[in-house]
Amino acid sequence: MKFISTIPAGKEAVIVQIDGDTRFLSRITSIGLTPGCNVKIIKNDKNRPLLVYSRDTMIALNKKESENIKVEEKVS
Amino acid sequence: MIDGKTVVALLGQPNSGKSTLFNGVTGMKQHVGNWPGKTIEKKEGSFARGGKDYIVTDLPGTYSLSANSDEEVITRDYIASGKADVVCIIADSSQLERSLFMLADYAGIDVPCFLMLNLADVALDQGKQIDADALKKKLSIPVALFSATDKNQYDSFYRCLEEAVKNKTKLETSSLLEEYKKIDGFSDLMSIIPENVMKNYSPMWITAKIAEGDKIVRSKVSFELKEEEKKKYKEIIEKLEKGALYTGQSKFNWIDMLLEGAINKTETKPVFGKFDKAITHKVWGKPLVILVIIGGLLASFIPALPFMGIGTVITMGASALNAALAEGGVHPILNGVITQVLIQSVSYIIQMLGFVFGVTLVFGMLEEIGIMARISYVYDNTMGKLGLQGKSVMPFLISFGCTMGGAAGARVIDNWGQKVLTIALAWSVPCGAAWAIIPMLASNFFGMGAPLIIVIILLVMVLNMFLIAKIFGPSLVKKNDRFGLIMELPPYHKPKWGSLFKYVLGRTKDTFFRVIKVIIPICAIFWFLSYTADGIPESTILYKIGNAIEPVTKVFGLNWKLFTAYVASSVGKEGAVGVLTALYSGTGTIYGAVMGSNAAVDNQAALLLANIAKPEALAFIFAVTFNVPCIVALAATYKETHSGKWTALISLYYTAFSLLLAFIAYHIGLLIW
Repeated sequence: MKFISTIPAGKEAVIVQIDGDTRFLSRITSIGLTPGCNVKIIKNDKNRPLLVYSRDTMIALNKKESENIKVEEKVS
Repeated sequence: MIDGKTVVALLGQPNSGKSTLFNGVTGMKQHVGNWPGKTIEKKEGSFARGGKDYIVTDLPGTYSLSANSDEEVITRDYIASGKADVVCIIADSSQLERSLFMLADYAGIDVPCFLMLNLADVALDQGKQIDADALKKKLSIPVALFSATDKNQYDSFYRCLEEAVKNKTKLETSSLLEEYKKIDGFSDLMSIIPENVMKNYSPMWITAKIAEGDKIVRSKVSFELKEEEKKKYKEIIEKLEKGALYTGQSKFNWIDMLLEGAINKTETKPVFGKFDKAITHKVWGKPLVILVIIGGLLASFIPALPFMGIGTVITMGASALNAALAEGGVHPILNGVITQVLIQSVSYIIQMLGFVFGVTLVFGMLEEIGIMARISYVYDNTMGKLGLQGKSVMPFLISFGCTMGGAAGARVIDNWGQKVLTIALAWSVPCGAAWAIIPMLASNFFGMGAPLIIVIILLVMVLNMFLIAKIFGPSLVKKNDRFGLIMELPPYHKPKWGSLFKYVLGRTKDTFFRVIKVIIPICAIFWFLSYTADGIPESTILYKIGNAIEPVTKVFGLNWKLFTAYVASSVGKEGAVGVLTALYSGTGTIYGAVMGSNAAVDNQAALLLANIAKPEALAFIFAVTFNVPCIVALAATYKETHSGKWTALISLYYTAFSLLLAFIAYHIGLLIW
């Protein structure tokens, strides 16, 4: 289990755990990220939000808050 | 129903095409107001169809119906109030799974609804085949595929609407309840929810919200619970610490069940094209964004030109009328009120509005295409330091051209507090009018020292922005609203020129009438203060006031003439130098100088140099640069923030700040020279 922000661009992963307060949980689920869902990391640059692709949607995530999301990297 | 008209509310996540549909069905028949007691924009429109009249309410675009923001609470309260006869839920067919979340969150609200699957053409291009009838059977509400950008496809919308109204179609939710019941404690919790605790919400909806930690629902329910149930209630909700995750999973499981057999495939590969790669580039992204915004700023002048032409023609007409009336023996005061206050300020407003029209159109288009979302991504970290969204960089850059345009551009910021803060900071950016006079004044008085003064002005600008963010930030953007970016980067959409154009034109018309209410009185007051029957500045009320308070203004390095010009610069900066020239040369009028209708004076530079000492000039430069930008910007700020209080606070701040700067500049100047 790793922080989603440690996965390099181009790799895919499965969300296994999401932490955070009620507000964060509700915002993150309403944009489509839930445990068990597949994500592809599109961009992971320093000092920039994380760009992930999931449920046919490109999503930008604040780096710091993204540390609430833990994933299992998919081996390709 | 309102006056026999059927009310339909549009509900959908951001980028679902809700606004496109709203503009498409209502055309020019729309009105922008405020939600009661809130500073959130309420868009309403109307249309007639088959001999029936309809009112359309465009609900704020939110991702869910939780209680995380005012927008969400307004949305769900409005729906549950029953004011709308029917709710049209809009989802994006090309991201159907994710975008049906709103439908799942709606499930359990006892108001008739129907589902429109927008962007059907995009979904088809992706090779997705969606069976709307299969969804209709499962949901027992009207469902149709369409494309909101194509008006020829609106028949399906009207058909679904009529069917939903006629049969009062309610969403079938039993299969969602089955999913929810798999959550530990859900059934137990639902069994103790009192009846009718929240009108038009089903026990299932209420239970799901309690599980999600919704503060509003929780407090309403716990208030109604019997003593013996309270303990059980507490035990259950303690177990539901991550309830929002569990219900979120239930909702998506339900969506998966809905889509099974109704869509041939759900997954498409991410599209990340050349432009995306360039604009999100680590190094080149930021400069590229600035180029895009500057390009947009220049493009804004094209639609603005006709307005500026009309304004110029009116100004010329006003001068001719003024002369004619004077010759006809009309009293100079009446003549002045008609030609200078009324006609000239209207023409001034029209010219300014042209730019606002251009900015709103061009940047509205960039927003619609999806470029603003990329800009948000690129500048998220930088603007986050000021407590703002990445998009705020756009109004700042526009403000180098025109602060009113910047205020209008701030419309794309969806959080009210951040929008007000952005506008407050944008005022700090010296506008085109300041750039037209400040470098000229600086080189006139300080020669080779002028570039240094410009650099200092830019430094003060940045410093001031941080200062305002520190002072006003905490009350505008509450600490628990300062969350990080979670935002969709939508696929690029082709802009719908026609409806965007109509919408912006409608908005501009609306702005015109709001702005005119602010500007005419201020112009009238300023005109009376600067009115002179004999043409001598010393007989104006402005002089009398200025003269009386001169001992005070001199502390800031401003004698009565400079102070008068400073006051005039808050009406319009470009007029500041003209006012000085008029006062020192004794030709033309103060009002005429502000409105730009005075004749040019040949020896202006020498005249100012001979009459104003260097420390005074330095004080004046800073006072004017950081003064209230102009009344049109003030009116636009009022229009965009919907808050008289904040507009006044921001104006007060800038008046105080500019005078403080003048004070510092003057005294430093005295030490040097």
